[in-house]
Amino acid sequence: MPSGNKWGRPVNAIVSARSKNLVLCSDCHLVVSVAAVAPDQPHYCPRCGSRLYARRPNSITRTWALVVTAWICMLPANLYPVMTVIYLGEGEPDTIISGVVKLTQEGMIPIAILVFVASIVVPMLKLIGLMFLLLMVQRRWQLNKRQCTVLYRVIEVIGAWSMLDLFMISILVTLVDLGAVATIEAGTGATAFATVVVLTMFAAMSFDPRLIWDLQEHNDD
Amino acid sequence: MLSHQSQLICHECDALLRMPAVRPGQKVLCPRCGAALYKCRRDPVNRGLALSLTALILYVPANFMPIMTLDMLGLQNADTLYKGTMQLYQQGYWWMALLVFICSMLAPLLEFILISGICLLVKWQRYNEWLVAMLKIQGHINRWGMLEVFMLGILVAYIKMLDMGDIQLGIGLLCFTGMLLATTLNAVLFDTHAIWEQVGQARERHRIRAL
Repeated sequence: MPSGNKWGRPVNAIVSARSKNLVLCSDCHLVVSVAAVAPDQPHYCPRCGSRLYARRPNSITRTWALVVTAWICMLPANLYPVMTVIYLGEGEPDTIISGVVKLTQEGMIPIAILVFVASIVVPMLKLIGLMFLLLMVQRRWQLNKRQCTVLYRVIEVIGAWSMLDLFMISILVTLVDLGAVATIEAGTGATAFATVVVLTMFAAMSFDPRLIWDLQEHNDD
Repeated sequence: MLSHQSQLICHECDALLRMPAVRPGQKVLCPRCGAALYKCRRDPVNRGLALSLTALILYVPANFMPIMTLDMLGLQNADTLYKGTMQLYQQGYWWMALLVFICSMLAPLLEFILISGICLLVKWQRYNEWLVAMLKIQGHINRWGMLEVFMLGILVAYIKMLDMGDIQLGIGLLCFTGMLLATTLNAVLFDTHAIWEQVGQARERHRIRAL
């Protein structure tokens, strides 16, 4: 744990806004005091009118639900074919993994690595990372909170890159539409994979990284 | 207090911080978790307007002109962003088509329109409900625009098709690249903090006048 920063103030002396009855508006970033409002009443931002929440509501439950659903959709996404290349009347369906293997056999190693990372490693890492953060918050593991926040930030940023495979399929399907000579058709697996991407994005959005830092406060008490 | 606040809260770790003095071009980072809290940009409104109008002009050719053309055994076929969505829909994959449509066409378009609208309203000093609504929607949809991922998708598809037939890159790709460049610059240069601050100031003035 770093003990100071460039302003010379110790990091441990920083208090949470919630302990001072202050809430950040998630839409317009206004700092609002909610001390005068009864705790069970909804608060609204005086500047933009959005509902104020100290923490995202039901963050842990929602994130778990989305993560579990995403894991279930992972199965059809990887078992069913995502794409079929039909060249002169022949062709067999490709799953995500067999597509990567084919690319390797054709000698396109960098592209194979790119597709493998974007469509298999990224979604898996996202789900495992989110599960790790959820367990850490629920089981009160004593870990470096700054690093856990960085983990969350990475999960949030890399999410979009899983769409690579879907965009590529949409381009190939349109480009290779030459009737009897060659066509490319999308497959059922792609639908499931699209669902996985959307679910992991919503899961990352519903997790509240401030929960990681709340652990510290409970320990200080 | 709707503007000029002396305190700042980190949106990622809930740290309560004192607002430091920021010069244009500087960024405020959370000392506890390292999150980027506030970017102070020179002239975000004029730059945002210029960039989003550029992107809007390029949007039409980028979506409807061919990205690349495949030539195979004398047969030719061109790919555009719009055709990509339609083709998936016609093959029966409406869910995938919808997702590709949202991430590559709808969200970027909405974002360009919203940023242009926001910048125009700020320029005309109309700090009304429309501006607030547009700022809120812009904050929610910007993560769904994935032009940079689409660019990589084009690249991968291009390399994959190289030995299948004769591939020519089209004018649509050029416009798409320009649009992507404008979006990326906007993501770096445009920041709504200063605009929300102005909205707050306008509301306060309004309140004083009403008293």
